[in-house]
Amino acid sequence: MGIREGCRRVLAEEGYAIDLAEDGNIGLEKVREKSYDLILVDLMMPGIGGLDLIKKIHEIDPEIIVVVITGYATIETAVEATKRGAYDYLPKPFAPETLSVLVKRGIEKRELRLEAQRLYHERELRLLELAGEKSRLRTIIGCMADGVLVTNLERQLVLWNASAAKKLRLSGTDEPGKPLSHYMKNASLIESLENILASKDDNVSMISREIPADDAKSVLMAQMAPVRDEKGTILGAVTVMRDITKLKEIEKIKSQFVSMVAHELRSPLAAIEGWLGVVISGEGGGDEEQNRKWLIRAKERAKSLLALVQDLLEINKIEAGKVAQKMEPVSLNDIITKIVDFFRPEAERRDIAFRLNTSPQLPTIRADVQDMEKLFTNLISNAIKYNVDHGSITIETTADKNYVGIHVQDTGIGIAAADLPRIFDDFFRIENKKTSKISGTGLGLTIAKKIVDSHLGHIDVTSRPDQGSTFSVYLPVQK
Amino acid sequence: MRTKGKILLVDDDPDFLEMHKAVLGNHGYDVLTATSGREGLERVRAEMPDLVILDLIMEKHDAGFSFSKTMKTDPLFKTIPILMVTSVAEATGHRFSLEDDGYWMKTDDFLDKPVMPDVLLERVEQLLKKSKERR
Repeated sequence: MGIREGCRRVLAEEGYAIDLAEDGNIGLEKVREKSYDLILVDLMMPGIGGLDLIKKIHEIDPEIIVVVITGYATIETAVEATKRGAYDYLPKPFAPETLSVLVKRGIEKRELRLEAQRLYHERELRLLELAGEKSRLRTIIGCMADGVLVTNLERQLVLWNASAAKKLRLSGTDEPGKPLSHYMKNASLIESLENILASKDDNVSMISREIPADDAKSVLMAQMAPVRDEKGTILGAVTVMRDITKLKEIEKIKSQFVSMVAHELRSPLAAIEGWLGVVISGEGGGDEEQNRKWLIRAKERAKSLLALVQDLLEINKIEAGKVAQKMEPVSLNDIITKIVDFFRPEAERRDIAFRLNTSPQLPTIRADVQDMEKLFTNLISNAIKYNVDHGSITIETTADKNYVGIHVQDTGIGIAAADLPRIFDDFFRIENKKTSKISGTGLGLTIAKKIVDSHLGHIDVTSRPDQGSTFSVYLPVQK
Repeated sequence: MRTKGKILLVDDDPDFLEMHKAVLGNHGYDVLTATSGREGLERVRAEMPDLVILDLIMEKHDAGFSFSKTMKTDPLFKTIPILMVTSVAEATGHRFSLEDDGYWMKTDDFLDKPVMPDVLLERVEQLLKKSKERR
């Protein structure tokens, strides 16, 4: 007790705030409740031994400076104590100055340690170590196809990879740790990162942003997420970037297609509604016979609308990859004969003759039978539709070691050179005096080409206006 | 018999030509038809109609626009009112209006396809009346 009070008086004079405890347990209680910089422990105490006490104190707060007071006969114990985490020892009896000096040293040490901790934590927060880190993980990030950027709370760029440098055209990357704007000018990205870093919302997990790249042609998709430590504190933001220019192009094409489809569907529907409006309103002034004729016109448009929908479903099937599914060895001759027989009555109505120059010994082809039937239906149907009365359709086959060729030639109105490049395009139909009476969806050749392409073949056309056209399909021979 | 007026229909869809002709003819109008912008201009020169009803999208995208521009810039024909019928509004998601687009469309009125007979008749009557008043 004398020592406690004695030390208290000496140290209070020096300006320290002092708390006293009569034994180890009471001492531990106080340590749990309050934060202390330095603890003086007498090794000879009832209850918990001094050595154990040091351990227990450090379990609560590892940074507390512990000085043990020992009897002169227990130097070994004192040395043991320092091994166990005590900062120093003070043998009894001791002069007040000795105590004073030791405590002062201990407190200085304490302050140094706190300062070091603070600096380390600060540095961690700044994520600046990342800039100098060379690890296997860093190598992996460096090899990623997606661009990766890490910025810290100070808005400094602490990590990037080659892909990010390329996509964002980063410059000045020989000096890491500078503000992001030092390396690039992309305002959109800088702004989005600012939003993430400034966010007080603990639940902010990711922002996705389309960023126009500096070259004005590409589009990047940037996904930004906060980097958090174990406690959830924001340390910075990580951005992953991907080039989505191609994806956007596809999106645009799809959107245009939908637009075209809607337009194509609208025409026949508007006509049907129009005719029905005329008949129902009676404004056309038609008698029963005339009304019937008008209704038949409506019906014809309905039929063409159905044909269009049918073709659209076919195209959708192809796009969904559902063609060339049931591949088996097929006899092209059988398929061609079947389709020709189907179209013969229609051809005969206009006195159009079929000439078949097909070889009986064609190399084996693997194909989807239904797709092949659809392909030749479209080609032969066109050959009739665009033909002249009393004309003919010649179907020939050729073969080399890689491909079998099927050539459908007609004596019809032909295709102008200017139109040839677009002949397989969606909804493309030639519109002139000669074709005005011919109905069609503009998708027949589109579908034909898609079928041939899915079978890894190719299709092309030669033609001269008024001299007819020849469509040639090449399909790979099964090896 | 005096007709109520001479109307030229320009549309590449034969169904619309016929149905509008039936309705307008039944109500005392003299109806001419053309299936292209070029043919339409020929008919205008030959027949001097009192009104032209024009479908916007014909063989080329701006066929309708160029037709009306030609008419409105020709001193002989610029007084002939043009009624544009279009399904482009929905197709491109853009509503044409005289206020926004009139200055470069140079037509006198718009209607969305399909046009119901009563609406057509009413609009035609209005345009012819306005045109007569101007003369």
